[in-house]
Amino acid sequence: MSSTRRGNHHHHHQSPMASTLRPYLTCIRNTLDAAMCLQNFPCQEVERHNKPEVELKSSPELLLNPVLICRNEAEKCLIETSINSLRISLKVKQADELENILTKKFLRFLSMRAEAFQVLRRKPVQGYDISFLITNYHCEEMQKHKLIDFIDIDKEISELKMSVNTRGRLVATEFLKQFI
Amino acid sequence: MAKAERFVEADNAEAIITRIEHKSRKIESLLKQYKPVEALKTALEGTYAMTGDERCKSAHWIVVHRTIMAIKDVDGMLSSLDPEYYDILMKYLYRGLATGDRPTCDQCLRIHEKLTEKAGLGCILRFLTDTVNTV
Repeated sequence: MSSTRRGNHHHHHQSPMASTLRPYLTCIRNTLDAAMCLQNFPCQEVERHNKPEVELKSSPELLLNPVLICRNEAEKCLIETSINSLRISLKVKQADELENILTKKFLRFLSMRAEAFQVLRRKPVQGYDISFLITNYHCEEMQKHKLIDFIDIDKEISELKMSVNTRGRLVATEFLKQFI
Repeated sequence: MAKAERFVEADNAEAIITRIEHKSRKIESLLKQYKPVEALKTALEGTYAMTGDERCKSAHWIVVHRTIMAIKDVDGMLSSLDPEYYDILMKYLYRGLATGDRPTCDQCLRIHEKLTEKAGLGCILRFLTDTVNTV
């Protein structure tokens, strides 16, 4: 099986294509970092203390500009942001790339960036290989919706590569109804 | 807010297109004189004097894209570019990143990384939250 392990490529100068992987991931990371700044909305009980929330009260269904970051024709990342949730969709060139891109490092970045967040796997957005929904909650009651154990992320990645998780999709649908 | 960002009363689309064509000639001249940063500034100026018309936006994008692709020394460009242009440049970078065109994405990714280092996450934030002044 061929393996273009671009993620572990140490000779970027040899392949022009490999040289854009790092800036591509950096761009995604920076964009997510900024987008997640806007996700720090606490529970409803305490929202009146949150300044950004107060400023945005006039636009309760705030939808920000969707962001499409393409590395090239075949690889892209779509980031859609709303007031309390963020959806990331990835399209990768090869199935192997999924494991390269979805490295522990990348997902650990997500988990470190938000104080408390959940990632739900759902059916990918049309035209993409995988989508993540990220919400940022401080509420105790949301813990019961937690699906993915981030300690066991490697197993998760294997499962993703095999098939769509039906159970995950069902629960994700229920969960997402709140945002509609 | 930076001068380049202020929304001004729009001229009609035809006048804007004419102005862009004029700008385009000036930019080609600047590029021939190996002044890519001046060319970029010229391209980025006045991009908000528009109706929001798609035609004007496309015309602006073509001109800005030309100057973005002409940049060879990104670090040099950013150190001589006035900070007031950071926000508008960031918006155009994202437009470039959305095209999927490999050379464009290559260049925009390269500049995006450095621009973010220089301008900070706030620059990206302002792009994300400005749903009115889109490019």
